[in-house]
Order: sequence, then C-alpha cells, then structure tokens
Amino acid sequence: MGETKEKGNIAATLVMLVLGFIFVLPILLLVMNSFKPYSDMISNFLAFPKHFTLDNYKEAVARMDFVKVFLNSAYVTGGTVIVGLIVSFFAAYGIAHIESKDGPLWYMLFTLGQIVPFHTIMIALQVMTTKFHMNNKLTVLIGLYAGFHCAFGIFTYVGFLKSVPRDLEEAACIDGCGAFRTMMQIIFPLVKPTSITIGVLFFLWTWNDFLMPSLMIGETSKRTLTVMIYMFRSNASSDWNLLIAALTLSIIPIVILYILAQKYITSGITAGAVKM
Amino acid sequence: MSILFQKRRKFYYALIIPALILYAGALLIPLFGGTIPYSFLNWNLMSGKKSMAGFENYVKLFSDEGFRISFLFNLKLGVFTIIGSNLVSFVLAYFLNKNIRAKGLSRALFFIPNIISAVLVAFIWTFIFSQILPNLAETMHWDWLGSISWFGSPGTATFTIILVSVWQQIGFLMMIYTAGLQTIPMDLIEAGKIDGCTGFRLIKDIQLPLLMPTITINLFVSISGAFKAFDVPNAMTAGGPYGTTTPVAMDIYKEAFVKYNMGYGAAKSVILFLVVAAVTLIQLNFTRKREVSY
Repeated sequence: MGETKEKGNIAATLVMLVLGFIFVLPILLLVMNSFKPYSDMISNFLAFPKHFTLDNYKEAVARMDFVKVFLNSAYVTGGTVIVGLIVSFFAAYGIAHIESKDGPLWYMLFTLGQIVPFHTIMIALQVMTTKFHMNNKLTVLIGLYAGFHCAFGIFTYVGFLKSVPRDLEEAACIDGCGAFRTMMQIIFPLVKPTSITIGVLFFLWTWNDFLMPSLMIGETSKRTLTVMIYMFRSNASSDWNLLIAALTLSIIPIVILYILAQKYITSGITAGAVKM
Repeated sequence: MSILFQKRRKFYYALIIPALILYAGALLIPLFGGTIPYSFLNWNLMSGKKSMAGFENYVKLFSDEGFRISFLFNLKLGVFTIIGSNLVSFVLAYFLNKNIRAKGLSRALFFIPNIISAVLVAFIWTFIFSQILPNLAETMHWDWLGSISWFGSPGTATFTIILVSVWQQIGFLMMIYTAGLQTIPMDLIEAGKIDGCTGFRLIKDIQLPLLMPTITINLFVSISGAFKAFDVPNAMTAGGPYGTTTPVAMDIYKEAFVKYNMGYGAAKSVILFLVVAAVTLIQLNFTRKREVSY
C-alpha cells in the first residue's frame, strides 16, 4: 500500500514538472536563443547554441542605451516602493487609530481607489501633467505611482494593523515612548511581513508598467525599460536577436526578486486576495 | 474613546495627509476634475476647439461602430480568458495540492509568466508565433502549420491574444485556488469519503461549494482584469487587423492620443469605469450568495 502511494507520488510529481517546463518553454527558448549568433537563430530556433556568443547582449546594451534605461527603471521603481510604503503605512496607521465616525470614511475613500482602472484617468493625467510642465520627470512618475498604488497599500495595512493589540501601545506610552517613536519602533517592525508583501507588489506593478511611462515620458534619455523595449520593437522589428537579448536582461531582475521573495510573493498575493 | 486617541488625535489625522496629497494628485483630481468634466466637452486638441457638449458625447457613443466593435471584442476576450484561465488554474491547483514532491518548483514554473511585464510577455509570444512556429513548420514539413497567419485574420489574432492572456494569468489564479483548497478542513473531505462520495463527485459536491469564496475572488480579479486589457493586444497586434482586436482601453487611447478627441475619449473612459464597477458589483453579489458556511 505504502509503496504504490510512493510510486504514484513520483509519477504525479514528474507529470507536473514536465507540464511546468512545457509551460515556461517560451521563456526558456527565448533565453537559449539569446546566446546564438543571428544566423544560427534563423536556421534553427529549437537547437541548442552551437556557437555560444554574448554578441547579442553587447550590441543590444550599446544600441538601446540599456544601462541608462535600466537605471531609470530602478530609480522609479525603488522610489515608488519607498514612498508608497511610507505614505501607505502612515495613513493606514492613522486611519486604524481614528476612533471617531470618520475613520471608516477615510478607509472607504482610499479603498474605492482600487476599482478605478488606470485607463479611465490616463487622458486627464496626460493633460494635467503637460499643462503644469510635469511630464518628462521621473520623480513625478514616482509621486503618481505612489498615489495610485497607496489605495491598495492602505487597504492591506489597515487589515493587519487591526489585529495588533492596543495594550502594546498603551504600555509604550506609560513608559514614556512618544507617538511617532511608538509607531516607527514598536508597530512598524511588527508589520514587516506585510510591508515586504506590499513592497514586492509595488515593485512588480511599477517595474512592469508600460502605459504610464509611455504617456508621461517623451525624452529618449528618460525612458523606462518596458517603454524602451516597446520602442525598439516598433523601430527595428527585424532585429530579433537584439530584442531577445534585451528581453532576457529585463526578465532577470524579476526572476531574482521572485527567488529571493518567493515566500512573501505567494503568501502576500493570496493573503491580500483572500481578505478582499 | 481611549485616552490615547484623545491625546494623539491630531497626530493620527496628520499621518493621512501625505497619502491624501499623492492620492488626490494621482487619482481623485484626474478623475473628478479631469475625466468626468472633460466628458461633457467638445474638445479636440489638434483644432484647439473646446466647447460645452452636454451629453452629446454619450449619445454619440451609442451609434459609434468602432466603440461597439471594441466593446464586443473586449467581452469575447474577457469571457474566453476567464473561462480558460480559471479552468486550467483550478485543475493545476487541484493536483499541486495532492501529495506530490517539488511543489515549490512546479508552482514557480507556472507562476513566473505572471510576474513578467505584459509587454515583454507579448513580445516573447510574438517571437514564438512569428519566428519559431514558421521555422518549425518548415523543418518538419508541416504545411498546415506554416500556412497559418497568426496575426493576419481577426479569428487567429483574437485566438493568439486569448492564449497569451490565459498563459499569463494562470499562475496568479492557481496560487489563489491552492490557498483556497488548503483552507478546506480535511475532516469534511474524510466524512464525505466515508459517506461514499468519491472522485469527481467529491470535487463537485464538497470541494467546489466550499471554494466559493475563492471562486468569487478569482472571478473578481479576472473580470476586472479583462476590462483593463491593453498591453498584450497593443504589443502583439496593435489592434489589427482592421481594428478587430482593439479592447476598450486601447480604443480610448486611440481616441485621445491619436485622434486628439479628448472630450469624446473621456466619455468613453467614464463608460469603461461604470462598466467595470457594475460588472464587479453584480458578480460579487452573485457569487457571495452561493457561498456556503460550515
């Protein structure tokens, strides 16, 4: 009995793993082909690289101004994660502690932002930022992302802050700990898992976004990664060898993030969704 | 009301201010001070004309052939993507929840497409459809495969977009279904088995009803996601051939940033917002009623 169960498990495991590899095959083929010379790519996409080369990467990095673009994306994403987390945590902490009637009202105001699709405000945002000469500024982009995403951040933080016992803060108060210090040194460390979860989601949403930077940023030197790749594809559509090298380079940070924060991504995404 | 709140009331209110400023600037002001008022204007950025239009834009929408086509395409994309991704992800979650090894790796493989930018995903698949498949057809002498023009006809272009959307969403939905399956108490399943309920009936009569909260969430996520479709069609077909694969969000984009009809585009945006809100509310209401408690 035990033996058949063991065998069944191994067979099922193998089936799932094979299916999984077939599922990500498009990505694997992409990475594999990025190391082939253009001529090998054309003659056989499915073969392993016969002449291993990094030329695609070298040329792609040079022609796309990749380092600059990568840094732009990193600046906007990093800024959004930090600013977004701080304003979300502050507001959620305030809202969770407001005991009068308007506490739930503030909560509603921010929560409702989650159902507004970005596409319904893109025209207005574009018109307004152009009018106030705020386009082509990466810092403005950070503010917009933080403002747009804080709806989710506040929603999630409030949910967790409600489960933190108040005795803790009262005890800290009796010990002479001020309001700001109580918040930062006692409560903030307690919600660290939530912060990591929200931070990872902010990272993914910002790093992967295309529409906002493509509307706000016109200057070539300030493009973000997704916009640059999109423009490169539109302008030089036949240079597939360069494009797939650039695609591979753009996917790497995301995969590294996933490996590092896998626990938080999966638990966070499910916890966030289940609470909704 | 606690003493602590009375003492620190001002501090708590002050904490909301930074988020409120950013939230207002990024969302409240553009929505209520931009999109909604613009939608009542006759405003073209090219000609520079700007005049009150009342409900003219909204009336015009009803007879707009392009908007109708994009709305129907969006509906088609939504329905097929929702059905396809939810079915596959449930089956995967079901088997990944069984007693198998290397669960982490299997889950990771299915999940990774979900965390890559939709623009990049669209290009990866464009590469497959436009380069790898024709090449494969040639080497294997599969003429039927080589003769398919993946982006050439409305039918095939819609199919490729649905396929890629499903591929990208499976991982996320699978995670939520896995979490949902884990919340079902083992003793309920054991009790069902003792009463002679096995196999497919166990899934249908015990696991699925208990999973209703999870299904609510997943339908909520996939329906609102369907109406936000933009990146994949934009990067794969750019709305073609002949505008047959233009989702509503892209139609709005083209109205405003290609034809420069800001007022009319804003009216379309308001409709999109109302549709997303209405669909979400109806759907939440519908599935919440079917949730069971134990």
